[in-house]
Amino acid sequence: MGKHSSYDAIVAGAGHNGLTTACYLAKAGLKVLVVEKNDWIGGAAVSRSLHDGWTYSNCSYVCSLLRREIVRDLELPRFGLQVIPYEGGASFTKDGDYFAYMSDHDALRREIARHSSKDVDAYERFSQTVIRQCRFIRPFLLRNAPDPTSLKPRDISELLFLVKQAHGLGAKELGETLRFWSMSIGDFLDEHFETDLIKTHIAGAGIIGTGLGVYSPGTAYVLLHHYMGDVDGAIGAWGFARGGMGAISNALGAAFEEAGGEIVMGSGVDKFLVKGGKAVGVALENGDTYYAPIIASNMDVKRTFLKHMDQGVLPADFTKAVERFKIRGSSGKLNIALDSLPKFPAAPEGATFMRGDLHCSASLNELERAYDDWKEGYWSKDPYFDLLIPSQIDPTMAPQGKHMMTVFVQYAPYDLNVDGVRSGENWNDATRKAFADCVFDKIEQGCPDIRKHVVHAEVRSPWDIENEVGLTEGNIFQGELTFDQLLFNRPIPGYAQYDTPIDGMYIVGSSAHPGGGVMAAPGANAAREILRTIGKGKLMPKFAA
Amino acid sequence: MSKPSDLTYDAVVIGAGHNGLAAATTLARQGKSVCVIESRDGIGGMARNAAIAPGVVAPKMAHLLYNLNPKTLKELGITAPKSVSLPTVSLADDGRHVVIQGDLVIYADGSAHPEAATFAALHKRLTKFAALLGQMSLKTPPSLAGGLMDMATLQELAGLAKLGIGLKRMGKKDMREFLRILLSNAYDLILDDFADAPLAGMLAADAVRGAYAGPRSPGTVFSMMYRLGNGGDVRLPMGGMGAVADAFANAAKLAGCDIRTGCGVAQVIVENDTARGVILADGSVINARSVLSSIGAFQTMQMAGVQHYDTEAVRRLRNLRNKGTVAKVNLVLSGAPDFVGLDAKLTAGRLLIATSATYVERAFNPVKYGDMSNAPVIEAVIPSLSDPSLCSDGQHILSANVQYVPYALAGGWTPAARQKLLELTLDRLEVYAPGLGRLVTHSEVLTPLDIETQTGAPGGHWHHAEMGIDQILTLRPVNGMARYGFGIAGYYLCGASAHPGGDVMGTAGRNAARQLLKDGVLA
Amino acid sequence: MSAKIKAAAVPMGLIETPFYPRLAALSRAKSWIGWAGYISPLVLDTVEFEYFAIRNQATLFDISPMHKYRITGPDALAVVNRLITRDIRKVRDGRVGYAMWCDEDGMLIDDGTVFRFSQTDFRLCCQEPMYGWLMDVAWGFDVVVEDESDSIAALSLQGPTSYSVLKDAGLDVAEMKPFDWREVEPDLWISRTGFTGDLGYEIWVPRDHALAIWDRLWAAGADWGLRAIGGQALNMVRIEAGYIAAGVDFQPVHAVMRLHRGRTPMELGFDRTVAFDKGHFNGRRALLAQQDAGQRFALVKIDIGGFKPADGALIYHRKRTEVGHVTSGIWSPTAKRNIALAELKAPFGISVTTDLWADVYVHEEGVWRHKMVAVVIETKPFFANTRARATPPRAF
Repeated sequence: MGKHSSYDAIVAGAGHNGLTTACYLAKAGLKVLVVEKNDWIGGAAVSRSLHDGWTYSNCSYVCSLLRREIVRDLELPRFGLQVIPYEGGASFTKDGDYFAYMSDHDALRREIARHSSKDVDAYERFSQTVIRQCRFIRPFLLRNAPDPTSLKPRDISELLFLVKQAHGLGAKELGETLRFWSMSIGDFLDEHFETDLIKTHIAGAGIIGTGLGVYSPGTAYVLLHHYMGDVDGAIGAWGFARGGMGAISNALGAAFEEAGGEIVMGSGVDKFLVKGGKAVGVALENGDTYYAPIIASNMDVKRTFLKHMDQGVLPADFTKAVERFKIRGSSGKLNIALDSLPKFPAAPEGATFMRGDLHCSASLNELERAYDDWKEGYWSKDPYFDLLIPSQIDPTMAPQGKHMMTVFVQYAPYDLNVDGVRSGENWNDATRKAFADCVFDKIEQGCPDIRKHVVHAEVRSPWDIENEVGLTEGNIFQGELTFDQLLFNRPIPGYAQYDTPIDGMYIVGSSAHPGGGVMAAPGANAAREILRTIGKGKLMPKFAA
Repeated sequence: MSKPSDLTYDAVVIGAGHNGLAAATTLARQGKSVCVIESRDGIGGMARNAAIAPGVVAPKMAHLLYNLNPKTLKELGITAPKSVSLPTVSLADDGRHVVIQGDLVIYADGSAHPEAATFAALHKRLTKFAALLGQMSLKTPPSLAGGLMDMATLQELAGLAKLGIGLKRMGKKDMREFLRILLSNAYDLILDDFADAPLAGMLAADAVRGAYAGPRSPGTVFSMMYRLGNGGDVRLPMGGMGAVADAFANAAKLAGCDIRTGCGVAQVIVENDTARGVILADGSVINARSVLSSIGAFQTMQMAGVQHYDTEAVRRLRNLRNKGTVAKVNLVLSGAPDFVGLDAKLTAGRLLIATSATYVERAFNPVKYGDMSNAPVIEAVIPSLSDPSLCSDGQHILSANVQYVPYALAGGWTPAARQKLLELTLDRLEVYAPGLGRLVTHSEVLTPLDIETQTGAPGGHWHHAEMGIDQILTLRPVNGMARYGFGIAGYYLCGASAHPGGDVMGTAGRNAARQLLKDGVLA
Repeated sequence: MSAKIKAAAVPMGLIETPFYPRLAALSRAKSWIGWAGYISPLVLDTVEFEYFAIRNQATLFDISPMHKYRITGPDALAVVNRLITRDIRKVRDGRVGYAMWCDEDGMLIDDGTVFRFSQTDFRLCCQEPMYGWLMDVAWGFDVVVEDESDSIAALSLQGPTSYSVLKDAGLDVAEMKPFDWREVEPDLWISRTGFTGDLGYEIWVPRDHALAIWDRLWAAGADWGLRAIGGQALNMVRIEAGYIAAGVDFQPVHAVMRLHRGRTPMELGFDRTVAFDKGHFNGRRALLAQQDAGQRFALVKIDIGGFKPADGALIYHRKRTEVGHVTSGIWSPTAKRNIALAELKAPFGISVTTDLWADVYVHEEGVWRHKMVAVVIETKPFFANTRARATPPRAF
């Protein structure tokens, strides 16, 4: 028989959100245990050494959304966290041209003008609109989503906050906001720009991580979700965590342990234990059992309730709602060790934009067709990718003179279609290789010698990500970011405030509002809810709105 | 009958489609003098009959009635032609066709459908939600002009608040479900509960009928519910859609409107930022104290002149999404066709080729790139089976809406492209009615481009502007112009691109006229 | 691979204007700023001497980074009148008009000068990039909009001896009245315009003629005290003249995050530039509505007692209620007054014009002090001299 012990609270899963919840609870004086199935912490924010000398951020790979309020509260810099903004980015075409996004505003205007003089001002108009929308949405990230069906004072005050924010907008802006939220990123960009290459460079942010195409309504919001982050207040800026994304989790883990928390690794939750409608503990796969009146699950909502809980304890309606919550695998990942910095011949020598996100997609239709492939269960024949070489900025990622490349690929299905049969089991070494070959072919469009530089490559399908990290279908957001799954609908209408039908059981991962993207906001918001429920709300630091 | 042109009408209405006529009738019944100007020789816009072959009358474009609002009809004094309710038959490749009538589902052979109860439950749920949305269709969208804290705005929002109260009455559970699915996509909603087969196909096809969207596109549950706003009954009018248009026209005449056809409006007269009448194509002038336009929103702007609109408004109107995706194929048949597995009553029904939700989504894919579906979604009806007066000598007319067909076909609408569209349509129909092709004695293909050319509907779009979430309510047709008043004082938009949108129901026209009166333009 | 094109890399950072070689040679302060992507001098030598050169001699300031657009075609007049709030029909050929233009809510997008060649040919000169907006404004009209920002070099020659400099350079502008505009020599256009409230001219040449015209003026200016200046001295004289600056005294609405932070021409005191009777123009309906509802703000010229510049100071009513702030404030070396432009919330500056106070913070050798100083609203410019309008101009 395994170990048994009791805690004030147990967090299942040591992802960044679980650790964030755990930190806040421990800092409020609770005795907190975090259990993690892997032998390492971090969930999808990890730095793994899979090839000697190289460090891969082998799931999430860039950082922007991590809320600065949380970084400050938990003193993460003291535990080694350093986020460095990266510079620009580029999209390369088949005919040897490129569009470069430059952080130097004057150079950016010249670069856009090189493609279209009309698009220069269009870009300013576009970015003003997006930043306005970001300003509107950002205050909601660290607040509960109000329940519009509720008359509770708290919900009403959240609704009033919403009204107040909206009031600041004025009539036309309010209309534009409603429109923005319901549009496709493709239509939105078509309204602004005439250059397909520029549109395509921007559009990627509207689809990354989702099972939607660039012309699907709602993708303008997805773009916002990727833009609403910041690095030190520079809205929309993205950065690398020094030492890889694991630096975030490791800082959280260290902060947690300093606050007296305990982490048990190597065995995952087998069952959440429920007695009389109340959460009482967790039984691990290795037979150990731990008890606590508060259980916070960092797993997505499907995994939590459909895989690790007895169905008898849940209302049938709730189970059904969980079943129909959409978590779709739509992206794969290549992590590549390179023997040297590969050349993109189109780029000028020493171009700073090479230290940003690189792509080889040149038209919105190309992206839309990539989506059509995915709908049928195939990886995109002509895929979109978000490629970065963080070792150009962060020397800790690869041996001196060598480099590390991360390639996020959209789209790749979870249930791969082979001869008309769609199943995750179709992902094997052969299909993984074929998938990687398809991606390498596309990278060659910008970087013809890429294959010669590869020392090691890790290929990850949605199926692999699910199996290793535990994200259902390998979905990076723990649930689609469509309007039917945002705000008060996330994850389940009526349970959008981190609570569940089981007393003492909470959802603290990205399945909950405001969703994924290594923000740590769900984890922090959930901690606030937990502390409020047990009458210790005052111990939660107040976030500035 | 018509008044001499030196008189000043209270209102001139541009376009004698059902919305133009509804607007005119609404004003005339309030004692206003109204003149309706139609550029074409006949009235009715998309709801017209056409003699397309000797002894054959076809519904030129629209062929069925949905959403005709009894309240609107009564208000306008319209006596609608007799009509019959049609069952919908969703054709199946394995011959197990599914028949849907209201909330009932069975197989065409009379056997029970395993998903009948699920369907009834969904239908009930959606109809309940739809009725709630339907209440909003008869109101002007709220103005947000004062910002949300403003008293006037709050009064405007009272209409929405009523919706909120309606929601509350539904109970928490329904309300949550409503708020969840309102903006979601039809594909997921359907496949959460149904097998991906002809019943699911029917639901998916109806969610995207006339739309530039596939069932996987978010927002399609809204259009699904919109269609159910008045119960979702599908009706075939006796005497064809022309009879419906005639009923609108008769009501207008009865109310005292002048209707002039055959010479359209060339320009709206604007003086001191106020609409003063119109100049016709032949140069004659009609003076009026107000002008209502039932043509597309963008065209309405052009009719007055771009110079009267702020640059942002022009930009919004230029960006209006209105790409039509439906072609009309009218086939004259030498005799009644034989659909395998359908009896005479069902053959006379609304026949749908949409064998699964996935089929519908696949049909949508090509149109995004300017191609037509190789396996299109088809909604066919043979009105002459229910209304023999339409055809002589045992002939029949098969009227088919073929989706998806692009407005701007890559390579252009050449004769070869039209022939391809016709053949694709026939090929699909032949699968279920072998030998149908041999019965065809005459055919007519109307692409979205043709529909635009013949009716003026922008993009050949049925609703003049896509009914996406980004183009409804306070955003219809565009942000800042949702309350029918169209920039210039006394100039109003009363067509399908105004709230609440398309389908042959006249509500937009009626609402626009009422708003004009409320604004005191004719006071 | 043979079909591949090699893209030309765009230059990074700030780039040189056509006059840069001369400016670089004259710069002792090495005080440069970025202006629309170009290197522009803030100070070339000493602010004080540059300022007095404007008011006493003649000065050259490189205004090439200004955005310049050419609007030509049968509908050019209609497009310009649709764009701006004043009536361009009342500006004759060969004249220049100061203009403001607004968005649909009547909020100022930018201000600038419209140069009328003819009713089918105009040049718009302004601070903010405007090509995208002009293309949208011109949509549906028969015109061509051309961005001349990079192809036209321009100099501002300002000060009491500026006419004499031009005369000695062989350029006859004696008959030119303020706001006149002439092609004095082939490809050399001169307008009697400026941002100083004093006698002055602006000279417009194709980019590759830039250094030649500089050298010609420089040579002619030797006897007239001609001096090259930077933007800081210019900013002082424009405040004295009561001119507003984009991004300082108002926020161009296309660049603001919060749209209500835009301002209407009336709120900036420019009612006279709004011609409601000319037919529709951008923002007309919103501006009419504001005329009925009343303006939200008033930009006023103020005299602040004492000697300490009050840039950024908050303005109080009865020393208690905060009612606005100084948008531009300097000590005027000519007027010997402490002057400023300030934005006040309505009704202050409109119906309430007394008992206003500026809260002035002064930093002296590490010590901060602040005090309430009485504010007086002025209706006239702080600097005015008849030489500015005399035609023909006087020699100095």
